[in-house]
Amino acid sequence: MIMAKVFRFTAPKANSSLLAFLLLAASLSPLASAQSAGQPPANSPPAQPVPGTPAPNVSSAEANAGEVSGDEPSAGDPERPSSGLVLPATDAETQALLAKMADAVANLEYRGLVTFEHVGVMETLEVVHGVRNGEQVERIRYLTGSPRELVSRGQDAACRRDGSPLSRAGLWSSSGLQNVQNIYHFLIRGEERIADREAVVLEARPRDPHRFGVVISVDRETGLPLKSMLVAPAGRVLERFQFVELDLAPIKDSDLQPQSSESRESDRSSHCGSLVSRWRLGWAPTGFKAVATRELADGEMLVFSDGLSAFTVFVQKLGPDMNYTGRAVRGATVAYMDHLDVKGERYTITVVGEIPDNTAQLVAKSVDARN
Amino acid sequence: MSHGNHQQRLNESLSALMDGEASELEVQRLLKESDVSGSDLQERWSRYQLAGNVLRGEKVAPVDLGLAASISAAIADEPSLAEPAQPSAANDSSDAGRSRWWRPLSRGAVAATVAFAAVLGVQQMQSPQPGVDTLAEVERPAQQPVQSAPQPSGFLVPTLNTRAVSTAPQFVPEQRVGSPSPQVQMVPSPELMRHLNRVMIEHSEQAARVGSQGMVPFARATYGERPPE
Repeated sequence: MIMAKVFRFTAPKANSSLLAFLLLAASLSPLASAQSAGQPPANSPPAQPVPGTPAPNVSSAEANAGEVSGDEPSAGDPERPSSGLVLPATDAETQALLAKMADAVANLEYRGLVTFEHVGVMETLEVVHGVRNGEQVERIRYLTGSPRELVSRGQDAACRRDGSPLSRAGLWSSSGLQNVQNIYHFLIRGEERIADREAVVLEARPRDPHRFGVVISVDRETGLPLKSMLVAPAGRVLERFQFVELDLAPIKDSDLQPQSSESRESDRSSHCGSLVSRWRLGWAPTGFKAVATRELADGEMLVFSDGLSAFTVFVQKLGPDMNYTGRAVRGATVAYMDHLDVKGERYTITVVGEIPDNTAQLVAKSVDARN
Repeated sequence: MSHGNHQQRLNESLSALMDGEASELEVQRLLKESDVSGSDLQERWSRYQLAGNVLRGEKVAPVDLGLAASISAAIADEPSLAEPAQPSAANDSSDAGRSRWWRPLSRGAVAATVAFAAVLGVQQMQSPQPGVDTLAEVERPAQQPVQSAPQPSGFLVPTLNTRAVSTAPQFVPEQRVGSPSPQVQMVPSPELMRHLNRVMIEHSEQAARVGSQGMVPFARATYGERPPE
């Protein structure tokens, strides 16, 4: 009898602690379950490669530098509209917001103060964006740490051919947007106030593990991204760029002049290049298309973008001393280095981008000479 | 014969408990058995949990059952705080019964908590999210996330560090397959540093032209620049 009394004490206790146990275990991966729950298999691109198994057929067309194929397997899929049912942000809503953002980024004149954080370190910058003769001019100056300044001119000048996938406008065209929505889930995460302005928080959550997510707070009035965060799986924020102060007054010419002796000028108007590369990728993550190819003094660089993320493949002859194999990480950017021996020549391959380490490695291993 | 039956019933009860379907009677049977010295019930329970973790695709650390045992032993050696206050003579049989039943339970609970914390800690360091373990994400060195005050829910909020650090890249050379890559801080040659700096800047500037991220790539491109030496 006494025993029974004690049992009545202990049994519920044991049960409730077990429950707590299970709850704790379940809460370990809330994002994972949310992610997989929101991922209808019907919507994922058909030819999505399994991580770790290069699928050469998928992207041999995409690797055609410069001449990007229009027949991306998932782009023209007629089954697509059904995805509006599962996307918390409707396609139309997302599309409008993204288009507004792309327009603001290219055409709005502004200046502001910005915080830029990664690796747990924060720096502050002054940014100025002007439009001169239809071209964008950017000036960026670090206000902390060693003095660094960059003035970039002549952007898009030679690249602005209508519908060209090389231009920003092309990437954010309706087919470009469709493509982006095939590889990211878009969610409206709410609203917040940044730099004394109201912003809509838009999250782009990747549908596969080969890219990072982005959370962008878009200015409600102008569409300018006021804050953007690069997010790794499980919600780890790798990088955050955020306005502290924004001034939308027209930019004077003097504001676009270098303010320090350390300034570097970057003029790339002739560089949106569509060189036919002698290299190809045996595998690239779904949705990444070659958007630019450039000749370097010692090799080539091929730029790939999925509309939000980008990585660049460098194939260079750097001599036998450059034999490092592995990755180097700075901030949110990873560089994976490897070699390739072709006809007795050693080439150094470097894949650089804001992409997961393993993806960079897979891409680097898939580089091959085009025959 | 009867022993075999007993063992079988216990196993069934344990399975039921794992599934959360144990009746009160079964729970009682298990609790009773767990107090019998020499019983492997607790070990079996740990193994079942471990198996469950593996089945669910969660990463688990090799659980050292000896750790729990030694903690249990240490707790047992600890003089009880409650004991001196109680009359040593067990004239109140219900009290004696209770303490006899509660003590091993609480011991086990503490040990289990510690063991679980150890597993949890390792899991979180390894991969907080099953299914993405194809990524070397976790191995990314010094990639502490950044934080801000008003964060949308669901994002990790680590500490912000404003100390000035070098903008030099961190290196993780390729390791043998299978071995967890420790964070190796190799000394890169100046050529390698120049090369990496160059490709990172080239990449960022090019990305600024193709992406729609506004100023961010420019900030990246300028970030690692060093004053001319």
